[in-house]
Amino acid sequence: MQVTVRVVGHLVYKTGFGEKILELPSGITVSELIRRIGLDENVPGMVTRNGACLLPGDELNPGDRIVIAPAYSGG
Amino acid sequence: MKGWIGKLLRVNLSERSFRSEPYDEAFAQKWIGGRGMALKILWDELKPGIDPLGPENKFIVALGPISGVPAPNTGKAVVAAKSPLTGGYGDGNLGTRVTAQLRKAGYDLLVVEGRAEAPTILAIEDDRVEFHPADSLWGRGTYDAEEALQRAYGKSAGILLIGQAGENQVRYAVVRSLQGRAGGRPGMGAVMGSKQLKAIVVKGSSEIPLSFHEDYRATTRADLKKVHQLDRQSGWSRQGTAGVLAWCNEVAALPVRNFRKTSHPDAWRIDGERVDAARVATYGCPFCVFPCGIAVHDREGRESELDYENIGLLGSNLEIFELDQVASLNYLCDDYGLDTISAGSVLAFYADAIEHGAAEGSFRFGDAEAAKALLGLIARRQGVGNLLADGVMRMGRAFGKGSEAYAMHVKGLEISAYNCKFIPGMALAYGTSPIGAHHKEAWVITYELKETPRDSYGIEKARKVIELQRIRGGLFEFIVSCRFPWVELGWDLDHYAGYFRMATGLNWSLDDLYRVGDRIYALMKAFWAREFPNWSRKMDYPPPAWFDPTYADREGIIAGKVLEVEQYDRLLSLYYHLRGWDERGIPTRRTFKDLELGEEMKALEPWVRLE
Repeated sequence: MQVTVRVVGHLVYKTGFGEKILELPSGITVSELIRRIGLDENVPGMVTRNGACLLPGDELNPGDRIVIAPAYSGG
Repeated sequence: MKGWIGKLLRVNLSERSFRSEPYDEAFAQKWIGGRGMALKILWDELKPGIDPLGPENKFIVALGPISGVPAPNTGKAVVAAKSPLTGGYGDGNLGTRVTAQLRKAGYDLLVVEGRAEAPTILAIEDDRVEFHPADSLWGRGTYDAEEALQRAYGKSAGILLIGQAGENQVRYAVVRSLQGRAGGRPGMGAVMGSKQLKAIVVKGSSEIPLSFHEDYRATTRADLKKVHQLDRQSGWSRQGTAGVLAWCNEVAALPVRNFRKTSHPDAWRIDGERVDAARVATYGCPFCVFPCGIAVHDREGRESELDYENIGLLGSNLEIFELDQVASLNYLCDDYGLDTISAGSVLAFYADAIEHGAAEGSFRFGDAEAAKALLGLIARRQGVGNLLADGVMRMGRAFGKGSEAYAMHVKGLEISAYNCKFIPGMALAYGTSPIGAHHKEAWVITYELKETPRDSYGIEKARKVIELQRIRGGLFEFIVSCRFPWVELGWDLDHYAGYFRMATGLNWSLDDLYRVGDRIYALMKAFWAREFPNWSRKMDYPPPAWFDPTYADREGIIAGKVLEVEQYDRLLSLYYHLRGWDERGIPTRRTFKDLELGEEMKALEPWVRLE
């Protein structure tokens, strides 16, 4: 299945991309995705789908737009 | 007493006089420093109802027990006065060499009173105070004027100054330092201008006369290295706060088109990656080990230092998506000494009001060149700039025709760059911020989106806002230290209790320190209530647009959603209840007493009925 992954902030320097459409196995979870794109599971502060936060065990769906952000705490 | 020098310098510009005043240990331990001491002095010494731009107002520079002594990011100073923008308590903080120099000169605070007869530079060197003419600097921008001051007084001198905006008493003029730092959003620069005070220059030649615990310097030296290393590992300062923009755009929290929209497809053109790629230099405050000021070249080829707030308000909120043009607007604000957040909101509101028939003019969203020209008019109070210099609250009153609903402010202070039309907890943080809508007091948005349902109005959100206010608006503002090591790198708060303990010899826990924060919050609210005797809880509301479905996003992840007014009102009651405040949002008698504010309660009683 295809999923759009948007990485924001300084995490882009670890993944090497800001936004990409990835071909992923169906049923893949958030934590599996994070490992697959080269991030430490503990690093991202927040993973969201349509603005709603996802948990590490949540499964992704075809066509999702997933946003992976650091743990921002405000300027 | 240890940790505090125990002296303030009081200067009267009208009389051209000054004196050193001691303060006692009880005052020090009750208010600690920074915001706490400044607030208490303003509360005691300002007659209620005075004109904030008159000679009766006082301008205070306030430091804390660890100010100016190396530790992670302790080179900051608080500037405070009654605000000409809001009419309530106003303050802000900025990085400056004044912090270390004022303490080397032998003072923890500077209180400036009266009004000079002519433009003046207040020159402080140890126990000498002189009043130098500033005629040759008056009318000049902050970059040029600060360079001239640095040449005249030496590179190590600490300098606080204003630009043309402060001179002309633009209500959101800021205080500037180090050619990149700014502070005092609620018009602290206008207060300096009203006193004809162009600049404060401070030089101290002594070692800071304090006897810290023998472990202090070794501990803080090691901690500075550790914080630096944390940043290297995380990569945070590659983008600094500008990294937040892409995230806000994705979670529908970005201000776009005077907050009418929460995201934009072109936002990537001004995001943190683009800022990092355009970087030509990096700047920070004294004692900063992970500087956040990323300078880029603006359209005119000048260095301009960007962060998220100024990109959000001068960029996306104006629908300007050319980074070099955003940088130009930011440069002009910095040079004139305008607050970038308020200036961006003022321009966006003006464009919005014209578009909706409430105001006359030709300014449109996206027109960067016209925005540049308007900033000049604002700084000089010329033409339409005279009204725009008063901020969106007064502009809305002048325009009428329903425009007040989309004048984006709380208590008169323009909202910073988080669009909370469907983020109730962060809206509460803006509503209850004690200087008007500012994110610095409680940045609850990450917690809210990560840990709670976005559309909930539960007590956990009110509780979290208070927890963050105690830390950000309390601890960091009264010990006067940058919050970023904790905020962005997770530097444990216990470190700050440790620095405080080693500086003062007081073995206080974080809870003891948070109690000081609660005391300060109660007195800040008392200050507002005394200035506005018909105080209503509506003063703690965000603008009507965030409750009105006609202002909801038409597309995207929060299409059709806005805040619910009854639910917000209930959340506000929960917040008041947790703080021990009544249904108007004023501390109860019991709360005043619990926080050892009996005297202050008695002083408030003639003005406001207390419960």
